[in-house]
Parts: sequence; C-alpha cells; structure tokens
Amino acid sequence: MRHSAVMQAVKETISDHRKLSMLLIVTVISSIVAGLIPPLVLEWIINALTGRRELSLPAIILYFVLFSLSGILDARKESLITVFGQKVTHHIRSMMCRKLKSLPADYYTKQDTGTTVSRFVGDVDTVETLFTSGIIGMAADICRIFSILAIVFVKSPGLGILMLFVLPLLYLLTRFFQKRMLAAQMDHRQAIGRVNHHIPDTIHSIRMLHNLNKEQYMEKRYDTYIQDGFRAINRSNFCDAIYSPIIITVSTVLVAVMMILSARGGWLMTFFGMSVGTAVAVMSYVGKIFEPLESIGMEIQNIQSAAAGIQRIHAFLSETEEAIFPEASDSPSADAPAIRLQNVHFGYETDKEILQGLTLTVLPGEHITLIGRTGAGKSTVFKLLLGLYEPWDGTVEIYGQNAGCIEPSQKRKLFGYVEQTFHAVSGSILDQITLNDSTISMEQVQKALHTVDLWHTIQGFSEGLDTPYQDALFSQGQIQLLSIARAIVSDPQILLLDEITANLDSDMEQKIWKALQQASRNRTMLSISHRLYAYNGGKCITIT
Amino acid sequence: MKNTKNGEIWHYLKSVKASLVIITISGIVYNIGMTAGPWFEGKLAQCLYNIIGGIQDFQDMLQLALIYVAVIFIVQAMRYVKRLYVRKFANHINRDMKADLYHSMICKSKGELEQESIGSLMTKTIADVDACVEGIRKFTTEIFDTGVVMIAYLVMLFRYDWRLTILSMLFPPIAYAMANKLKKTVAQGAKEYKESAALLHATTYDRISNALTYRIYGQESMREHMYEACLTDYEIKAVRANIWENVMQPIYLVVSMAGCLCILWFGGKNVLGQGWTQWDIAAFVTYLACFTKLASKSSKAAKLFHAVQKASVSWKRIQPFLTAESMTKAESQTKHVEQMPQQKTLIVNDVSFHYAGRANLFSNVSFLAKQGEIIGITGPVACGKTTLGKLFLGELPYEGNIYLPGNVTYMGHESELISASIAENILLGDIGNAWEALSWVDMDAEVKRLPNQIHTRIGNGGITLSGGQQARIALARTLWHRKEVLILDDPFSAVDMQTEQKIFAALQKLTKNNIVLLLSHRLSLFPQMSQVLWMENGSVTVSDHKTLIKENPEYASLYRIQTQGTQDDKGGGSNEA
Repeated sequence: MRHSAVMQAVKETISDHRKLSMLLIVTVISSIVAGLIPPLVLEWIINALTGRRELSLPAIILYFVLFSLSGILDARKESLITVFGQKVTHHIRSMMCRKLKSLPADYYTKQDTGTTVSRFVGDVDTVETLFTSGIIGMAADICRIFSILAIVFVKSPGLGILMLFVLPLLYLLTRFFQKRMLAAQMDHRQAIGRVNHHIPDTIHSIRMLHNLNKEQYMEKRYDTYIQDGFRAINRSNFCDAIYSPIIITVSTVLVAVMMILSARGGWLMTFFGMSVGTAVAVMSYVGKIFEPLESIGMEIQNIQSAAAGIQRIHAFLSETEEAIFPEASDSPSADAPAIRLQNVHFGYETDKEILQGLTLTVLPGEHITLIGRTGAGKSTVFKLLLGLYEPWDGTVEIYGQNAGCIEPSQKRKLFGYVEQTFHAVSGSILDQITLNDSTISMEQVQKALHTVDLWHTIQGFSEGLDTPYQDALFSQGQIQLLSIARAIVSDPQILLLDEITANLDSDMEQKIWKALQQASRNRTMLSISHRLYAYNGGKCITIT
Repeated sequence: MKNTKNGEIWHYLKSVKASLVIITISGIVYNIGMTAGPWFEGKLAQCLYNIIGGIQDFQDMLQLALIYVAVIFIVQAMRYVKRLYVRKFANHINRDMKADLYHSMICKSKGELEQESIGSLMTKTIADVDACVEGIRKFTTEIFDTGVVMIAYLVMLFRYDWRLTILSMLFPPIAYAMANKLKKTVAQGAKEYKESAALLHATTYDRISNALTYRIYGQESMREHMYEACLTDYEIKAVRANIWENVMQPIYLVVSMAGCLCILWFGGKNVLGQGWTQWDIAAFVTYLACFTKLASKSSKAAKLFHAVQKASVSWKRIQPFLTAESMTKAESQTKHVEQMPQQKTLIVNDVSFHYAGRANLFSNVSFLAKQGEIIGITGPVACGKTTLGKLFLGELPYEGNIYLPGNVTYMGHESELISASIAENILLGDIGNAWEALSWVDMDAEVKRLPNQIHTRIGNGGITLSGGQQARIALARTLWHRKEVLILDDPFSAVDMQTEQKIFAALQKLTKNNIVLLLSHRLSLFPQMSQVLWMENGSVTVSDHKTLIKENPEYASLYRIQTQGTQDDKGGGSNEA
C-alpha cells in the first residue's frame, strides 16, 4: 500500500479538508469516551439505592444526558466517516477518470469494458468500506475494547483477568466463523455469477436451444447453479445462525462465574470488587465488549478485500500511457492533399506487420473506396488517420498536419467517421448526434437529420429529439443513417465511411445510398467496402 | 412442471410449511425467553445484595447463577434454531422462484424474447427475486424479534408496576411517530442515492465503452466534466442518504429513552418504599434493563413495515412472469412446415414470402432435394437467403408448401454459444466424444494446445475465442446434433479457404444420409454442390454451378472475383474491427 495512488488520494483529501479531518478525529475519540460513562453513572445510582439514599433529580438527568450524548456522538461519528470516505472515493474516481484520456487506443481494444468498469465501481467501493467500517472503525473498536478492559480492571480486577483469557479465544472463534462464512459467500457469488451468465446465454441462444430441443438441458444446468448457490448459502447460514448465540452464552457464563466467585465473600469478593452497583455496571460492560470484538473481525475482512481493490486501482492508474505526441508545429494548410500516407508501416503486434509501406494520397473533393481481403488493413488505415495509433514508420497527414497531433477541438471539423457498428452513447437521440458537444447548434442537427431523411421519423417519437435512445427505436438501417448524421453534423471536410456488413433490405439499402450521396457532396470521402459488391462510382484502391 | 398456481405467493410458502412451523415455535420460545436476561440480571444483583446483608448465602448464588446459564443457553439454542430456519426457508423460496422464472423464460420463442425486450427484464426480475425473498426473510425475522418480543417485554413491565409502565411508555410512541413522519424523507433520500449510483454506473460504463468514439470526435474532456458532475451528485446523495438513515436512529432511541427518567425517579422511590409499589433491587435492575431493550427495539419497529413494503413491490414485478402463459415449442414449430417422415426428399413447392406490409422478398421458389445432396444458395446482399433458411424453422408465415423428410437442424449467423466448456457446448448434455466433432471442423489440433483442452471454458457467448473458433464450435455442435435436414447459414464466413475446404470434405462424408442447404456468399465451394440456387430481385434460379457460370453473368463475375486472390487469403483477420 506504500506509495500507492490511493494513499496519495487520502493524503490529498486530508490536506484539502483539514477541518473535516480534525473534526473526525475529535468525534471518534469523544464517542468512545461517551460510550464508557453511562454504566458508571448507573453503578453510582444502584449503590445509592442500596445505601437507601434517595436519587437526586440532577443525577437522573445526568444519566439520561450522558446516555443520549453517547448515542448522538456515535451517529455523528458515523456520518463524518461517511463524508470523509465519500470525499476520498470521489477523489480516486476523478483521478481514474482523468487517466482514461491518456490511455492508448490499444488499451480499449484489448481490455474488456466490464473489467475496467469494475475498477471504477467495485474496487473503489472497497476503499469506501475501508473508511466507513475499515481502518477508522477498527481503530475506534480497539480503543473501545481497551478502555472497557481498563475500567473493568479498576472495578473488578478478577473479571478483568477472566476477560483477558476469554477475549483472545473468542476472537479466534470469531475469525474462524468469519473465514468460513467468507468462503461460503465466495462460492455463492461464483454461483450467482454463473446464474447471471446463464440468463443472457439462454436468451442469445434461444433459437438454437429450441431447434436442438435443449430446453431441459439448460434447465438442468440452471438448477445446478442455483443448487450450488443454495448450498453455499446454507453453509454460511449455519455460521451466521450459531455465532451470535455462542457469544451471548459465553458472556452469560462469564457473568455467572463472576457472581459465583464474588458470592464466596472474603478476598475473592474484594478481588472482584463487588458492590451491587458494580455488579450491575460490570454486567453492562461485559455485554458491550463483545460488540467491538465482532466488528473487528468484519473490519479485518474489509481491510483485506480493500487491499486487493487498492492494488487493482493502483495497477490501473499505472497503466502505460499513450506516448505524448509532439506539439503540432504545422497548422493545416488548404494546399496540401486532404489525406496523405507515405510509406506507412504498421501493425498491432510487433511481430505482425499489417501495412507494409503503404502510400496513398487523396485530394480534396475526391471520393475513394478501399477494397481488399479481410485483414489486409483497410480499417487500420482509418485508425491511423483518426490518430488512434502512431505508425511504426512513415507519415500520416491530414491537410499536411500529422494525424496524431490534431487538437481534440479540431477533430470534428476535420472529419466525420461513420463506424461499421454504431456505438450508441447513453442519453437522448439528440446526444447520439451531438455527443453532448455544446458547440453544435440545433440548426446543424436539423440539417444533418434532413440530409439522412430521419427528421420526420424522429419527430414522430413522443419526445422528439429528447426521447431517450434505445436500440429498439430504430431499424438497423436507420441506425446507420443516425451514424451518418453524427458524422456530418459538424460539417467536416473529410468523411470516413466504414461500410456496415449487416444484411439490409433493398429499400433501406437505397435510402442509405442516397443519404451517403447527399452527405459526401462537396466533401472528401474515403470509404471501406467489406462487400464483394462494391458501389460503382469513385476510384477504388486495393489494399493488400 | 408446476401448475398455474405459481402466480401466488402462498404456493411458495406452502412448500416450506415445516420450516415455518419450526420458526414459529422457536421464535416464540426465544423471544419470550429474551425477558429472562434482564430478570436474571436483577435477581443476581439482588442476591449479591442479600449476601452482603447476610440474608442469603453462597449456595443460593451458585444455584441462581447455574440456572441463569442454563436458561440463557436454552434460549440461545432456540435462537440458533430460529435464525437457521428463517434463512433456510428464505433460501428455499429463492431457489424455487428462480427455477420457475427460468422455466417460463426458456419456453418463449426468439421473437417473443426480442420483441418485448424480455431478456433484460428477466435479468432484472431475477434481482427482484432476491429483493423479494430478502423482504420475506426480514419480515419473518422482525415479526418475532420485534413484534413478539415487544409484547413479552410489555407484559413483564406491566406486572412490575403498571402505573410506571403507562407513564414511561408514553415516550416510545413519540419516537415511532417521528420515525413514521420522516419515513418518506428517508425513503426519498435512499431512492435518490440509488438513482445517482445507477447514473454514475451508467456514465462510467458509457465513458469507458465509448472511449474511442469520444476520442475520435475529440469529446473526451467534455465527458470528463460530465463525469465529474455525476461524481459530485453521487457524493452529495450518498452522504445525505446515509445521514438520514443513520443519524435519526439514535435520536429515536434518545426520545424513547426519555421514559427512563420516570423509571429512575419513580422506580427509585419504589425501592425506597415511597412509591406506588414495593420493589427490591432486582425489580429495579430488571425493569430498567427491560425498558432499555424495549426502547431500542421500538426505535427499529419501522423496519418491519419497510421490509413488507419492499417485498411487495418486488413481488408485483415478479408475478406476471410466473403466471404468463408460455406457448409450447411443439406448437410453434410445426405450424407451417409439414413433416413427411415416410419420404426421403425435401420438397419446396411454390413458396413465396413477404414481411408484413411489404412486397414479396422472393416468390414462387420450388426445388427438390434428395438424401445426400448439398445445395448451395447464394445471391447479392439482402436477396433473402437468410430468410429462406429461417422458413424451415417455422418461425415465419409463408405461402406455398414445404415438405420435410424429418426434423431440421439450423445454424444461423450467431454462434449461440453458452458459457461452459468446449465439450459442453458441442454435446449439450449428450454423452459422446466431442473430439470427434472437433475433428470435423478441423479444430482438434488447436484445442489440444489449450491448457484445459476440451474442458476449457469459453466465457460468455464464447468471448475468449476468436470469431472463427466460435463459428467452428457452433458448426461442430450443429453437426453433432444433425437431423434429416441441415440448414447452414454462412458457416464458413469467419474461416479461411483452406480450412473451409477441409471442413466441407468432412461435411460431405458426414451427411450422406442428410440433406444440407448451405447459404453462403462465398462461392469457392459451389462447384462441389449438387445444386445451386441463385436468388436475386425476388426470383430464384434453381440450377447448378456449371450452368450458372455459363448462363448467369452476375454469378460468373462474382465467382471470378472471389477465386482470384485465394492464395493470399489467410482469413481470420482479428484486427479488423
């Protein structure tokens, strides 16, 4: 955990919120102290009664106030820890989000989205619990145990010694149960994971399952998964059910032993320090000491799982970042060709070169189609043009400017990219087109939608452009049209088109063809054809 | 399977009757026994007082302490039984509900599942089962741990001093009323927190899964701002929800505990003989301990109602899925396709098809296929070959007649793999040698190199495999389960040409007694087909390769383009996104 990014986040949070941190420490300490006092007052009250003295009203009120105070301070402690924990996790998530920008494109193609998301969600959550019920809670609980022990030693040395023997044993017992429960819960989670996979599996494969009559087979598999989970939960249930009764029985035995021994009188009674008031107060302490004991076990668990989470967060934050491209020294010039690749060598893995010295020039206003077998590198050319990858050798230029150095704010004015598969972003239909870019005006959106002939379709939805986007709203062809609208909305100079491979009916194909003709008018267009039936018109270049 | 009674919650409760009886008995014994703790604590203190005063001796204390331990032991044992059975009972219901839900899902057709987006709904419903059962469990627990125990305490308090009890019991209802009043605010806070968490999760997912799209369009900084806004909102909502939930609890307790002011004052008088009744120390200690426990219980009483509410909301969402009429597979499949097992030929007679409200996709298709034939079907994109293939599944209504010599095995574009091992994916529960099936699709050598060989798990939908491997395992599975007629829609699209040739050779050997319809846009295998169907502009030409090359210029040029650069083609191309 040393030098880890998480520690850094904690330090920064503390220095950003000094007051909060101080307040937190003060509250934790005072809540421990406040928790210790009420039984002492109770002892005094009982002793007064056994001495046949009348209780004074102030003493009664004092007892109540102290009792209330300990509850209120406890609540305050909990909330402050939450506030602090939230600040830390906010900070960590911000750090992680900033990291996303500097990760190379390769990271996103190789890492499965779910894994990265779980760094942000699950792993940061473990850090949150580390604060809410981990480190701080554990420190507080250890303090509480020791202060209770101290008081018990003062009040009743005999009981103190008894407790010293019993506490470690009970602690070991606690850990034993917690470990067993954890193991059972892991098994259960694994089974749940399988169940969760099984449902989408079934839905995706439903045609095959019906066709091959495998419904019963799948039901049986599902049953086994649930049964596994069922058994794991039952194991954990056993531990869960028996733990607390054991603890209470043990504390009962302790109280009984204490009472029996002090009833012997003589030195034993002094050793146990028993007045009636002490007996009542001590009974209340015995109950109190087992609570933090149970919590400490849980807290160790949280700290352990947080340690794993912190490691993973740290690994994520130390992922190799994209090489910083040199500052753009040359600004785009109108005279240069729209696209120029010179002697480009590139591959995704070092031993597998895909582009072997490709040279290609596209003049402004030209329409060019790339064809070639699968794997020849047609899409790769696009990725280089979009600045997602740097070529091993050679240059990739857009209007004379190195493709890797184009300012993010310039990108949309330079090129629009119609992807092979549309990547829907979360949000409304409007967001699909603008990508939340506030510089795009409503007129531009309207114009783009008219160009692809989707305006009326979208107006037909209940909330128009503000309708939340769902795949089901559009047919496959319409999604392609939406993708074109996204590409041309900012009126870019170059249109990059990666043709879709899905089967469309011929009506829709005509419509898309028309939209593309409209969209590519007065623009440079470079397209990839995956089909063996190339669109006629324009120049074809074969990539081999 | 289970009958339509599934739509009622009693159906599930009935199946765990025995557990419920055990829970009731142990729950009542335990909760009444809960009063034993404070009672004994009082008696022990009193006994010590008496020993000091010389009224009782050591023997009395020994006896009392031993009885104390024994009683608490029994009570705790009862508690153990109760806790265990409540959990078991909930677990049982959970399992049964999920099994029923799954059953109703798997009986639905692909169309049904896609149309109503039942898929995602189903996944949510499974989560609802957990919530519902958790609610039932909490409710069962709270009935005893709050309801029964409060009554037991109350009875005990009244027996000690009914006037004092009435007086001190004025306070817990105040706390309860406060809790009830704030319930909405607390629930609102929790709801907002959950929504904010869901939004944050969605935004995270969106930011990461569309990272490259945002990068291409230069929008990464913009997203970062939005993400930061979500984070801030989440932080505020999380803190607020937590404070409402945790801070109020102790305040309710404090209000309830105000009653102890009366107890100390009047109870103290009772002990000194100046009050309403005569108390000893034991009574005082017991009464105070009892009241403290009652107060803390009543500050949690709101939970009981909360649990019921939660469970009923979830249950309402689950119910329709359990009662929904599921159409049986047999009905749907034989609706339009006639099986004529006595003959050995496949007859397609004058079949036309159109999607609702559209012109005919293809018309008057007729052909005849004999056992052992492999028929190639091709045409331009969107010519309708995939649809033609699906007609044999009986999913779509068409005009004309199709006569089958038996059953159909279909393989579509999607590989439809499940997250299981390679062997399980091929055999799907059959007993047999999956290696054999792998050798048909030229994959045995590859699988031998995997660490767990045939038992390698392939992840969700086969995600750990390349597209070509997925397609070949799907083909192996289809071939293993082959019936009289095999429909293969583009089985080689992700496979290189050499492998394609090898697999085809195996296919020819395997299907001597079957009829194979192979729909494909790759024509290199077509010279080896018994017949070739060319589909274009809604009409279908039934012929063979040689004739088409001569008579159909489109087919001929297509075949030439595709067979030109075969030497270079290594296929696969995993880097092509």
